[in-house]
Amino acid sequence: MDIRLLRPSDIPLIQHANLENLPENYFLKYYLYHALSWPQLSYVAVDVSRPAKTPYDYPKIVGYVLAKMEEEPSDGVQHGHITSLSVMRTHRRLGIAEKLMRQSQQAMVETFGAHYVSLHVRVSNQAAIHLYRDTLGFKNEKTEAKYYADAEDAYCMKLDLRFIRDQIKEARDAELAEQAGGEKKEDGKETEEAKNGE
Amino acid sequence: TAGDVEDEVVSTAKSAEDRKAAAALSKLDAHRDDEAAPAREVDHEAVKNAMDALGGGDVKQAGKKEVKKVKVDAADVALLHVRAQQVDELELNKIKATELLKAHDGDAVKVLRAYVTSS
Amino acid sequence: MPQVLNTREANLFRTVIRYYEEKQYKRGLKAAEQILKKNPKHGDTMSMKALIMNAQGKSEEAFALAKEALTIDMRSHICWHVYGILYRTNKNFDEAIKAYKFALKLEPGSQQIQRDLAILQIQMRDYQGYVQSRFVMLKARPQLRQNWTALAIAYHLEGNLQQAENILSTYEKSVSAAPLKTDFENSEAVLYKNSIIAEQGDIERALEHLELDGKNSLDRLAAMELRARYLAQLGKNPEAAKAYRALLDRNPDHPDYYKGLVDALSISESDEAALKTVYDEYAAKYPRCDAARRLPLDFLTGDGFRTQAKSYLTLMFNKGVPSTFANLKHLYSDSFKRDAMPLVVDEYLKDLKSGNTDGKVQANGDSSKGEGAALYFLAQHYNYHMGRDLTKAMEYVDQAVKLDSSNVEFQMTKARIFKHQGDMEKASAAMDQARLLDTRDRYINSKAAKYQLRNNENEKALTTLGLFTRAETVDGPLADLIDMQCIWFLTEDGEAWQRRGDYGMALKRYHTIYNIFDIWQEDQFDFHSFSLRKGQIRAYIDMVRWEDQLREHPFYFQAALDAVNLYLLMHDKPQGSNGVNGVDGKTVNGDDAAAEKKKAAKKAKKEAQKAEREAAGKSAKQDPNKATALKTKEEDVKKDDDPNGLKLAATADPLGDAMKFLGPLLQFSPKNIEGQLAGFDVYMRRKKYLLALRCLNAALSLDKDHPRVKEQVVEFQKAVEPVLQSLAPKVQDVFKSEFIGFARS
Repeated sequence: MDIRLLRPSDIPLIQHANLENLPENYFLKYYLYHALSWPQLSYVAVDVSRPAKTPYDYPKIVGYVLAKMEEEPSDGVQHGHITSLSVMRTHRRLGIAEKLMRQSQQAMVETFGAHYVSLHVRVSNQAAIHLYRDTLGFKNEKTEAKYYADAEDAYCMKLDLRFIRDQIKEARDAELAEQAGGEKKEDGKETEEAKNGE
Repeated sequence: TAGDVEDEVVSTAKSAEDRKAAAALSKLDAHRDDEAAPAREVDHEAVKNAMDALGGGDVKQAGKKEVKKVKVDAADVALLHVRAQQVDELELNKIKATELLKAHDGDAVKVLRAYVTSS
Repeated sequence: MPQVLNTREANLFRTVIRYYEEKQYKRGLKAAEQILKKNPKHGDTMSMKALIMNAQGKSEEAFALAKEALTIDMRSHICWHVYGILYRTNKNFDEAIKAYKFALKLEPGSQQIQRDLAILQIQMRDYQGYVQSRFVMLKARPQLRQNWTALAIAYHLEGNLQQAENILSTYEKSVSAAPLKTDFENSEAVLYKNSIIAEQGDIERALEHLELDGKNSLDRLAAMELRARYLAQLGKNPEAAKAYRALLDRNPDHPDYYKGLVDALSISESDEAALKTVYDEYAAKYPRCDAARRLPLDFLTGDGFRTQAKSYLTLMFNKGVPSTFANLKHLYSDSFKRDAMPLVVDEYLKDLKSGNTDGKVQANGDSSKGEGAALYFLAQHYNYHMGRDLTKAMEYVDQAVKLDSSNVEFQMTKARIFKHQGDMEKASAAMDQARLLDTRDRYINSKAAKYQLRNNENEKALTTLGLFTRAETVDGPLADLIDMQCIWFLTEDGEAWQRRGDYGMALKRYHTIYNIFDIWQEDQFDFHSFSLRKGQIRAYIDMVRWEDQLREHPFYFQAALDAVNLYLLMHDKPQGSNGVNGVDGKTVNGDDAAAEKKKAAKKAKKEAQKAEREAAGKSAKQDPNKATALKTKEEDVKKDDDPNGLKLAATADPLGDAMKFLGPLLQFSPKNIEGQLAGFDVYMRRKKYLLALRCLNAALSLDKDHPRVKEQVVEFQKAVEPVLQSLAPKVQDVFKSEFIGFARS
């Protein structure tokens, strides 16, 4: 199993995984729209242990997160949104969904300055709600009545991404301090960069 | 203003999820952003110089690759080109057949040999 | 002479255009009618009306109207432009390009026409044409960065990397203000330029550029990955190691990073201890990381392997990870490892029984952990083709089921074992039983339907899948599955119909898959301009390159090969003049069996149609207003006049029809021997011996010992030798020199 960024060539098998796992399905073009608008945000889990059958095998996708930035956020705040997340039944309990989500969240902040990430989940989907709320720290914002085609309600959940911003800042400060320290040892004065650093 | 929108703009999808997808896809071909102002000031003088440096209308030359002159025999073109009643043809149109011949110094046997051994 | 509009109507005409652009087609039509009432021969308005009708799906009427408009006003660029757009929607791209070019001649300054031409050129991969168009567009508006980037893309795709880089640099030099740190378009343009530098092979310069201009890249991961790769390529090992460590800290479940790190540390492949130290470090650092624990199994040997396997399997069994076997089966190509696995699992089970498990496993009735997990693993082990012993597999799975008869995975595995025993009927029943254990899970639902199809139960499978397809789709589950491009179902359904002798239904499915690939190819169209606006250039380039190879996908290959083989069958054993539902029974079972099979197939089909009708009725009832309204509308747009493939099966030229599928098969998957074998069969029957020889030679170079290849060599020799003398001398030469059967001495 390999956790990595989604590539356009993965899309037919992502669509396949989606069709196998979930009742909410999309045209290939909708996947393309994600992959070409926010290529930093969507991740896949690949089964790397399948022996190749032909020279034209594509990596088998066993899990994916399809994510986006909200194009016209109604609250005016830059934020990400999880369009679809699923892991094959046979590949559960390896923490794949969590890992996919964490990679996506990191990039939402780094690349697009997201303040939070939102998603919808079926009110009956206990396993998913557990992941979002207990493992990842999402909060339930509201219930959207009859959100799904079969009239089931959805919870609208949100996760504040400030903690990632803080981590990034900390890491950068540490990096700059290290650089400054190194430079100091070498030539005994602070660098311009450290002074003007973000 | 949702009531103002015509019915064909409204997606026939039943769920909010499907409506979202349909709305996003319907906007892909919009061109209005093309008219947006550039985010950064360009130095018009520099741009003009740069454009001149690119060679103006010479783009046709720039794009063309050198083609060597090769004499092509019409009978060979016919040999390669599709003729349904014959048993020995490749399924190529005349243009492609001529191209192949040119690439192989006009030698039909070379073309055929290369063709049946490469795939 | 074209009519001239007065001011009021000229304004109205502009609103027609606006309505069209805003996709408010009804309003647009109304306004157009208003103009045409007073000016019935106004070509531009007629064209716009045609354009709107086309957008509504009435493409035939639209075409007729646009043609009429053009005869009235030959000098109107609008008429020509619309004509081009209509050609494009009808997929006649060459004519569309011609029409656009004509329109452009009449109105050389039109950015819209130029843009439409450019998009079509890149869609058609006319790189030279695209370079020219993009050049003109840049000249018209050099202040837009997009236009510079687009020209660079054009050169890049054309293969002129140097010029592509040059264009990007020229723009950079002509901007005075420094870019903002949050300027995404700039951040991406820098990385795009960097990729072009690297593609030219100048890694040193690429690294320099990345460290200088790409330092503040917003795509942090890409910048880090590129830097690590460049450092490694340049042999700067200590720095490369550090870079890969930084990447592992981001994502310790990406095997490439370990490989990068190990290479940078210059650890030899045979130094198992040193290698393991690297992985152990990350296993300790990231308790939830799987890769660091699993990957050492790839390189460890002997006792080292056994120890690691024991600790890994113990961890997985205690956690109850259902994919444990699936994640390890690649190890089975090594016979030592294959044989070691069940012994390790036995040991685990023994430890479990003796209570010697570090007290870690607390299954608490969860059968997917502990003993259940181990039995499940063993069942899969003996079911897998590299260690197959189906009796043992069944023993273990039965033990597991005894432990917990409600476990879906156990039951699923039982179905798989039945399948490998060759009993599809039992397999299908067992998988359906697994489905009933968790009716809210679509995965097991899909598997159950797949097994039903393998057992030729098309109708049942559709009913099963219908439990998850969207209920509001008017024509029932089938329409939803087609609409959602569900290739796996279409392929399996087609193959099942084929086995049942219903060639029409089978062909229908294969053609539907073919059409889906057309849609996927068409899907890139909007992105030629969209991606420029979004500024995500590298992803766009990736897409273009993937789309170029779209039909090499096994999804296409499988359906196309099925179709070609079916057409071959239809050619060899014609099914009577009506061409309906032929059954190939004569040779195998005798006439009676054939007739009976045919009857069964017909009955089954009637049932299927009934089921579909009922499903459609059901969904219509759920939302009466919407469904009927939608249906009449959809029928206007597209009505399938051959839903059961009767016309397809009635073809007089099956080999000709096969060509549509065969062409892309040979073009995109030349190294797949199955395609070459099928190609040979088609070309031989069509007496195209050169093309047959081409397939044969390709097959020979792939696997000269393949039994079918050997047969084909003989077949070719027998067929061609007698006619050789009658062929053109040049062709004779080729056969003599390039066919092994003739190339004597």
